[in-house]
Amino acid sequence: MFYLGIRLLRAGSNLVRTCDRVDWPGVRYTRILRGAFLLIVVTFSLLSAESRANDVPRRVLILHSFNYTFPATTIVSEAIRKRLLERSPQRLEIEAEYLDLARRPDEAHALRMANFLREKYANVHFDLVVVIGFTGIPFIQKYRDVVGPGVPVVFSDVTRATYEAIKLPSDITGIISEYYPEKTLALAEGLQPGARRLVVIGGSDSLDRRWREAARKAIEARNPKLETLYWFDLTYDALLVDVSRLPSDTIVMFLTFFSDSEGKRFIPRDVAAAVAKASAAPVYGLFETYLGTGIVGAYTYTYESLGTAAADMALEILSGTDVTKLPPRANPMLAFRVDAGVMDRWGLKQRNLPPDSIVLFKEPSLWDEHRNLVLATLFVVGLQSLLVAALLFQRRRRRQAEISLKESEERMTFTAASANIGLWQFDRATNEVWATEHCRAMFGLPGDVPLTRDTLVAAIYPEDREMAIGVLRGAIAGHQSAVTDVRVVLPDGRLRWVRVRARARADDPGARNQLSGIFVDITEQKAAESAAELQREEVTHLMRVSVLGELSGAIAHEVNQPLTAILSNAQAALYLLTQESPNLVEVREALQDIVQEDNRAGEVVHRLRSLLKKGETRAEPIDVNELVNQTTTLLRSEMIARQIVVDTDLADDLPAMLGDPVQLQQVLLNLVMNAMDAMASTPVGRRLVTISTRATQAGTIEALVRDRGPGLTPVQGSRLFEPFYTTKEHGLGLGLTICSTIVQAHGGKITLSNHDAGGAIAGFTLPAQEFMVAAQ
Amino acid sequence: MTESLSTVFLVDDDAGVLKALSRLLRARGYDIKVFTSPQAFLTDHDASIPGCAVLDVSMPGLDGLELQQALTAGGSQRPVIFLTGKGDIPTSVRAMRAGAIDFLTKPVSDADLLAAITRAEKDDASTRHSNAELDQINARFAILTPREREVMTHVVAGRLNKQIAGDLGTVEKTIKVHRGRVMEKLGVRSVADLVRLAEKAGISPAKL
Repeated sequence: MFYLGIRLLRAGSNLVRTCDRVDWPGVRYTRILRGAFLLIVVTFSLLSAESRANDVPRRVLILHSFNYTFPATTIVSEAIRKRLLERSPQRLEIEAEYLDLARRPDEAHALRMANFLREKYANVHFDLVVVIGFTGIPFIQKYRDVVGPGVPVVFSDVTRATYEAIKLPSDITGIISEYYPEKTLALAEGLQPGARRLVVIGGSDSLDRRWREAARKAIEARNPKLETLYWFDLTYDALLVDVSRLPSDTIVMFLTFFSDSEGKRFIPRDVAAAVAKASAAPVYGLFETYLGTGIVGAYTYTYESLGTAAADMALEILSGTDVTKLPPRANPMLAFRVDAGVMDRWGLKQRNLPPDSIVLFKEPSLWDEHRNLVLATLFVVGLQSLLVAALLFQRRRRRQAEISLKESEERMTFTAASANIGLWQFDRATNEVWATEHCRAMFGLPGDVPLTRDTLVAAIYPEDREMAIGVLRGAIAGHQSAVTDVRVVLPDGRLRWVRVRARARADDPGARNQLSGIFVDITEQKAAESAAELQREEVTHLMRVSVLGELSGAIAHEVNQPLTAILSNAQAALYLLTQESPNLVEVREALQDIVQEDNRAGEVVHRLRSLLKKGETRAEPIDVNELVNQTTTLLRSEMIARQIVVDTDLADDLPAMLGDPVQLQQVLLNLVMNAMDAMASTPVGRRLVTISTRATQAGTIEALVRDRGPGLTPVQGSRLFEPFYTTKEHGLGLGLTICSTIVQAHGGKITLSNHDAGGAIAGFTLPAQEFMVAAQ
Repeated sequence: MTESLSTVFLVDDDAGVLKALSRLLRARGYDIKVFTSPQAFLTDHDASIPGCAVLDVSMPGLDGLELQQALTAGGSQRPVIFLTGKGDIPTSVRAMRAGAIDFLTKPVSDADLLAAITRAEKDDASTRHSNAELDQINARFAILTPREREVMTHVVAGRLNKQIAGDLGTVEKTIKVHRGRVMEKLGVRSVADLVRLAEKAGISPAKL
């Protein structure tokens, strides 16, 4: 380094001397110039001494224990070279030599190589020596001076066992590789839980032997439960044949194979590949380099990491760290490494791998290789698909909407027709009618008659026309709904009841003259209604008959009394007339009594007949008090028979009312008979029915029947009006139901309650009709 | 007009019927007393008047049968004729058992009614007659002294004077005197007559 500076200095002096020979104007100038030049030269030389340290490259010699054919050594060396060049702050010159000591362990070869190095690098000063592989360690120890006395040595790819076996001075340091064959075995056992046999394969070379021993020790220490076979010292061909016959539940562990039993030399990686190819069972190895040849995996480091770690150490030393301060380090990059493709081939499950396993050679997916392209393509395709889908969806929806609209229309028309409903719309401004075909059928219009307002109106029964038109006009004028029932004359003369429901379009100002609605055929309903009415009348009548049947004895007695009087009077008169001088006054009186008694009997019979008659409901003026009196008369004998006393309290200012006397008498009869029935267990002296009438302030007429029975229980009170609910042993449970119906038909209501002093009060209120009084 | 027959007590709550029946019976010469309710009859009627009662069976308050019971309970022996609108058998049986003369169904013919009344009259008359005779006999027995009555019961039992004297602890002669007085007071001539009379009066012979 200094040498360069001296050379420059010399050059500077020569330049000055050259200047001397130039004819310059004065010595003084010459002296000044010379001094200045010297200053410059000194300065420059100092500067160049500084830059020389950078310019002069640091030299590193890499010594391979093996020759270049071993993949591992190449990987390590390449990693070292790459790392050094990347990280070194100084310029580096890297030399490399393959000592091939592993294959040629004889001392002659070593000496030969040492001489080679001395001669080759006689004038080269190395700042560092890197030794790859353990066989280079004894060599460098022996011949370090050949390369450079005391030059720092960094080794790589030396096993811990080797390192511990040879004592090294502190200026030789490096990366110790650690191997754990037992861990690889554990990996194999994990992947092949069903394995029953372990075959360990190793070569016959001295190097192989070292691996064999180390591996056997480790495996035996682990004490596997597998049947363990050590296939050492086989010929290469025999080995391949043997592995091909292995059962598949075997774990094959391939150690190293530098030479076979016949001394044939091999590169272990090639043998690993051949064994893996031939083997009928999965093969596991020890080294990273085996991965990719067909073996399943190994617990190992990468050779690259080995190189990188050694390079890092070398860099530290090159940057000035004292080599003696750097103890050897273990390679930290140990891991389970497996070949995904091979695992797949053997059907080994990745889930059986130990955690943190590194899976290599995964089929690089399209995704891995062209992620962005794939993403972009997917995006474009996705976008396009979305667009297409959206368009399809829209189209489908539109079509569905169209279909459902059509279906809905059809359904509506069908439903309307099925329900015997016709749909229509009428515009008063244009007098136009839109109507479904069903309307035509409903109105009995032939197919050739157009559906217009006039044809429809013409079909309506004449008496109903004005009313229907009036109602619909009212709906349009009042913007509201309207309902009216009309009769339609069918071509065959039958009448059909049609309910017209109309709705004005009040919400739409543009359709103010429009009326829409439905026609409903209610002929059946009307028929059913009248049938129900008929039935109701029938039941009412039957109940009356049944009540009268119950009373037949009492009623007979009521007729019998006047008959008795008549007979006796008549016989008395007859006897009187047989006398010589008949007492004609007495005879006349007898006859008058006969007439009176006959009237009396006739009245009972008349009342009875009207109650028994099955007549239409009438509306005539009624005196409720008279009804009460008639009722008590009818019931007189029955009351006597049941030892019941009846007491009436009738208001004399009752307004008249309109109603059906027979039906109302039936109600009274029923209520009084209920009162009588209620007192069956009341002591004889206490059996009293009180019937009272009064005009209420609300303008109604009230009639109450009170008994001295046990009264009503709450449950009875709530259910007594239900049909077929009865508290009597032989009751039908229709009495009060019918009474209620009758009273309601008269615009009144039935009441049931309990009296505070005991007993029940049943009664009804009926609206009075003042106009009837006025009309009279 | 015939002379007034017995009295008929008519009880019916129906004024028309009451009026017609009384007219009919009055024309036949009966004295008629009418009552519109059983209660009025019970309180007002005079049991000493001979005659029968015609009662309506169904009346408010107290029906005919109950009225009959009330009458009997009160010691009346007045014959009763029932009139009924229904004429059901159980009621008529009850009435007849209770001593009714007849049970007639309304409307009743005058012949049926009068026949029943005539029977009732006879019944009433005989009752009243036997009642009067019994009263006489009882009055005669009543004048016997206790000793005479005692001797009489022994005589009726068929004992001889000697036996009676032994029974009563006296002499035959005394018994003979008592016996003679008894026969005299009662107005009988033979022992057979005495026995018959004692039987009518319900006096039982002495038990030995």
